[in-house]
Amino acid sequence: MARQFNIRNQTGFTVIAIGCFVALYLPIIVLVAFSFNANTSLGNWGGFSLQWYAKAWSNEAVIDATLRSLQIAVVAAIFSTTAATMAALATTRTEGYRGLMLKYAFLNVPLMIPEIVTAVALLIFFAQVKIWTGYTGLGYLMAAHTAFCIPFAYLPIRARLEGMDLTLERAAADLYATPWKAFRYITLPLLWPGILAGLMLAFVISLDDVVITNFVKSAGQETLPTYMLGQLRRTITPEMNAISTVFLLLSIGVVAIFFFVTNKKT
Amino acid sequence: MKIRTALLSAAAALLASTSVTFAAGELNIYNWGNYTSPELIKKFETTYDVKVTVTDYDSNDTALAKIRQGGHGFDIAVPSQNYLPIWIQEGLLLETNPGQMENAKNLLPEWKDPVFDPGRKFSVPWQLGTIGVAVRTDIFKGDINTWDIVFNVPAELKGKMNVVPEMNDVIFAAIAYHGGTNCTNDLDVLKKVRDTLVNAKKDWISMDYGVIEKMGSGDFLASVDWNGSVLRQRLANPNIHYGLPKEGFILWSDTLAVLKDAKNVENAKLFQNFIMDPENAAIISAFARYANGIAGSDAFLPADMKDAPELKIPEGSKVTYSVACPPEVSELYTKIWTEVMK
Repeated sequence: MARQFNIRNQTGFTVIAIGCFVALYLPIIVLVAFSFNANTSLGNWGGFSLQWYAKAWSNEAVIDATLRSLQIAVVAAIFSTTAATMAALATTRTEGYRGLMLKYAFLNVPLMIPEIVTAVALLIFFAQVKIWTGYTGLGYLMAAHTAFCIPFAYLPIRARLEGMDLTLERAAADLYATPWKAFRYITLPLLWPGILAGLMLAFVISLDDVVITNFVKSAGQETLPTYMLGQLRRTITPEMNAISTVFLLLSIGVVAIFFFVTNKKT
Repeated sequence: MKIRTALLSAAAALLASTSVTFAAGELNIYNWGNYTSPELIKKFETTYDVKVTVTDYDSNDTALAKIRQGGHGFDIAVPSQNYLPIWIQEGLLLETNPGQMENAKNLLPEWKDPVFDPGRKFSVPWQLGTIGVAVRTDIFKGDINTWDIVFNVPAELKGKMNVVPEMNDVIFAAIAYHGGTNCTNDLDVLKKVRDTLVNAKKDWISMDYGVIEKMGSGDFLASVDWNGSVLRQRLANPNIHYGLPKEGFILWSDTLAVLKDAKNVENAKLFQNFIMDPENAAIISAFARYANGIAGSDAFLPADMKDAPELKIPEGSKVTYSVACPPEVSELYTKIWTEVMK
């Protein structure tokens, strides 16, 4: 009898897998390790120290930028997830009709458009709006982030909806539940992990964004990633490593929450 | 009724209070990242009771693109001298005549009337410097004040020479090496420039920006680099010295100008005057580690910068400003550059 096909038995599998892991994680490990460097150098180890964390913590610009990033990410995540949930319900809880595919495509196009194109478009558009209204607040960044986060929030929610058992919702309707009650007591609780997943994903995507933020930001609207980018022209110190490490932990934390929530047995 | 009047007066008070905070003044600065001394900003804020925000950009192109579109909310930007003429021609800057301001008397003579802003009608110097060669003099004992060590690499430095990948600066250096002038379109000179660069590159280790790191670790023994960067390298390793080529070298300057659509013009002008004060110019230099073009600021510099040879330009040097060349010339240079980078 022929042995069952198993990718792990292919020659070179282990080597390739280890190679991929090293390429993915080695630079990050080096980055984290050098955040504890006592030297000002990124390349020469000078003993263990937490001074760069202390320095970053007492750097007002870093704290300001971090708080602003979080503020934008929270708002963008909530609004984009709300919109994405409604879009996902509207595109799955319906009979198929002409143009439905087109709607799917429209919702996901932002994933395909190069970010720089969106950024330049938003720069030109918002610049006009800023001149007309005179308002230059954080609203533009929040709106822009909400917009590009929608497809990221939409995908896990739609996936969850498609995997859900329709008969439960039908049963609710058969038992004279109003559409709202059926949604409130059946659909929403079942959908919840999908919504949370979308929320976390949108949050992380907003937190990471550089290109669009750089083009849309007005005076005094530095976010953490754009602040970090700005440091590159001059010598980088391990302070950047320390900030990156904290940033990394934050992202991992969010993803971990997402993982535990979605894997909870229902 | 009473509640309504109370609410109305509360709202009125709120409006009044916010307008008061506006009146106290704001200033929005758009500058290169990690380039603005927080101490300088604090001092300006307390001196003039103005709330200052600093927002970063990472390239001349990003800054230009954003300001062109308008609606940005910035009052001040800090373009490099080779970009400044574009800003002026496109009408993006306000003619504040900083050359006539009180502290303009402190400008060093060579920075009073630069080609990129004749008469200082728009800009004041922020930071400025030269581009030359950093060399480990414990390894190479010869003359370091020449481009010859870059374009005809001596045996000691073969395979250990780095060149920063700045197109204009490197091509200007090679042109100076062959006795030409910046932005020349003399094809004889440019052919020599191309051959020199292509041949010399074989003896270079890399074309990289991370000079401070790699000079420190000994991966590079020499590099074409900016003076402020070499200053830091010398502080880490006293064997590193800065050579200014006798064939001629480039001066650069990031310049601070007020934007045409600035909302806080008066504060912006105050700031222009403020940074031409020797003590304040020294605060900028202490942070960014470059010279500032202001006479008398040396006295306020930190000890390790006061007599730094990297920040001095020797009498009688052949210096020129780095400028933006006309498009047809730039095209030629880009072709040469592409060939070099291959």
